[in-house]
Amino acid sequence: MIIHDKILGIVTLFYLLLFVVHVFYFATRKERVLSFIWAILYITFGLHTVGLLMRWFESYKLNMGHAPLSNFYESLIVYAWSISLIIIVLKKRLLYPVITAGLCLISLGLMAYASLSPSVVHTIQPLIPALQSNWLHIHVITCFLAYAAFAVSFLCGILSLLGWKNFVPPQENLEQINYTSIIIGFPMLSAGILTGAVWAHYAWGSYWSWDPKETWSLITWIIYALILHVRLMKDWQGKRMAFLSIAGFISVIFTYFGVNFILMGLHSYAT
Amino acid sequence: MSVTKNNEDNIIFSKIQQIKESAYRFITSIQFTIVLLSLIAVSSIAGTLIKQKAPVEEYLSLYPEGIYRIIQLFGLDDIYHAPWFYALLVLFAINLILCTLRRLSRLIKTKKRIILPEEDDLKNMPVSFTVNGKENQYVVRMLKRRYRATCEETQGAVFEKGRLSQYGSLIIHAGIIITLIGSLTGLLFGYKGFMVLRKGDVKDYLTTGGRHGKIQPLGFSIRCKDFAVTFYPGGEPKDYVTTVEIIENNKRIMEKPIRVNHPLSYRGLRFYQATYGNEANFLFTIGQERVTLREREVYRKGGLSLMVIRFERQIHDFGPGVLVAYLDREEPKTIWFLRDVQRLKEQKVAGIPISFNEVHEDFFTGLEVSRDPGVWIVWTGFASILFGLFANFFIYDRKIYLRNTADGILIAGTCKKNHERFSEEFARIEKEINRDNT
Ligand code: HEM
Repeated sequence: MIIHDKILGIVTLFYLLLFVVHVFYFATRKERVLSFIWAILYITFGLHTVGLLMRWFESYKLNMGHAPLSNFYESLIVYAWSISLIIIVLKKRLLYPVITAGLCLISLGLMAYASLSPSVVHTIQPLIPALQSNWLHIHVITCFLAYAAFAVSFLCGILSLLGWKNFVPPQENLEQINYTSIIIGFPMLSAGILTGAVWAHYAWGSYWSWDPKETWSLITWIIYALILHVRLMKDWQGKRMAFLSIAGFISVIFTYFGVNFILMGLHSYAT
Repeated sequence: MSVTKNNEDNIIFSKIQQIKESAYRFITSIQFTIVLLSLIAVSSIAGTLIKQKAPVEEYLSLYPEGIYRIIQLFGLDDIYHAPWFYALLVLFAINLILCTLRRLSRLIKTKKRIILPEEDDLKNMPVSFTVNGKENQYVVRMLKRRYRATCEETQGAVFEKGRLSQYGSLIIHAGIIITLIGSLTGLLFGYKGFMVLRKGDVKDYLTTGGRHGKIQPLGFSIRCKDFAVTFYPGGEPKDYVTTVEIIENNKRIMEKPIRVNHPLSYRGLRFYQATYGNEANFLFTIGQERVTLREREVYRKGGLSLMVIRFERQIHDFGPGVLVAYLDREEPKTIWFLRDVQRLKEQKVAGIPISFNEVHEDFFTGLEVSRDPGVWIVWTGFASILFGLFANFFIYDRKIYLRNTADGILIAGTCKKNHERFSEEFARIEKEINRDNT
């Protein structure tokens, strides 16, 4: 086993640990546990970053030299990393442990799927010519930061519908966090789609060709644009915002997974 | 009598006016935006679920005939180019343009002269404090370091920061309009085509329009000087490069490589490396003549007419072979030639001795060619959208007022959003101004 694989395996265990500590917090409600959670979170994020960098470094040793952004396995790992990054960036606003718990659970799921599913290829693969572009980096990073921010929005939507008294923050705060995450996610998604279009122009000769992944990213973008405009109409807040946030994230998931597995197109990593 | 008639006319007229107004209000409303965006989203989803631009047989194998008729009727087999989809986009554009214009005019109308509020108003602002024992000049200088002074008078001054954020959503919406204009430009004045080149080929035209290919002259010539593929150690393709020369009026203008992600741009046309393939050339001696044929290329001379219809790199252990079809007194026949088997290398066809001497396999390269005069407009739109998003979400507008009062220098601040962050910033400013006060 190669060292970056080992590190990422350990990172997976750390996300599990994070989730367990969250559960412990809910059981005991000791405030000290919270600072412990943040400490582990920083360590996990650091390790995760090191793991990705090692993988990057390793690809140069294998004479293929590319950032770990090129196949499904790498994208899962980068997604989990982006979620941690968003947690840290939004630290001041995400102080509710139920949200960080949910996010750690999502990261755990992504990491576990990446390392355990036999259908996900772990090896570092060479970049096909279409992916050899500097646009790859900015395109993938902005998209996954957006997806990570939308995961926060999704959790807010779910929590606001569940409304468990002892866990869930007040409705107003949830809506504020939801809006904050969309403020980060929407510009990031816009940047992701637009850089993707510029890249497609240089790689394939047209900036928009209605391929399924492009189309689904547009659908996602429209849903979040709807959320931003619906906010402008006072009587539309509350439950409907929650539903729209959930719909937005379902669309994200479909853009990310569904298109690869169900619909085929230029973007499917398979070829 | 005429009076009542007039009255009726007036009523009808004002009714029409009312309907016009409410229609206009609806067309420019966000409600309409939401309806349109939802419809566009739903149609887009349909376009990813229903197979697009497939041949008829494929639809009939996927769906019952009745459903196929519906698909055809509404153009669901090519949704993104269906008239009603364009109509949705046009309505959306109209909605967006009117909405943006209205907001623009409102911004211009409400742009009042900036005035310094009265003392009481300042004291009622969310944040304020009073400085004592400080030079007015000094405080103004401190504030100017962070903020822009928009109004200065003897009574005091107004400072502002983040004004740009007011225009954020305007810039986003304008960016979307610009993007739509750019893609319309491309749709109207651009085209896409394809070009296949073999090493050494010179072409001065390309084929556009997919199935019913049309010939489009380039206005110059392009010569394929070389084509090469490199592979990774594992065998995956690493790079395809076509080296081309641009020739104009028999003069070589330039020589450039075209590779994936690195198109060649010349005279508004872009050449992209799209595909490549392998093609075999067969060297024959027919009678006394040396002839090079490609697969399916017809050779005709005198009474003889033949073509290679099949090529095998290896036939059992006997090396490469070609299946040649020819006409023998109007009757089609076939015959195998094998390069490495003397008896099958030279044979007589219709009385003429033919020898299959050699096979050369050459690459050909497929270049996608496009002209899109709208692409720079689209890039401008993209840049505006991103800039507008940044201005709208990551900058916020706030004002600080300074007024000389009997108690000292009164400083107060307001903002429309991000109150928390503003309070923090205001507290920092207060601290800074008071720093060497004690
Ligand atoms: C896909 C298309 C659109 C996108 C991506 C978009 C994006 C945005 C964004 C990001 C904002 C800022 C929201 C906020 O600050 O929370 C905004 C505000 C707004 N949009 Fe749109 N918009 C679109 C279409 C439209 C259309 C067609 C209309 C016309 C009715 C419209 C009307 C408005 C209005 C009135 C505001 C509020 C302006 C303000 O308060 O500054 N939008 N839009």
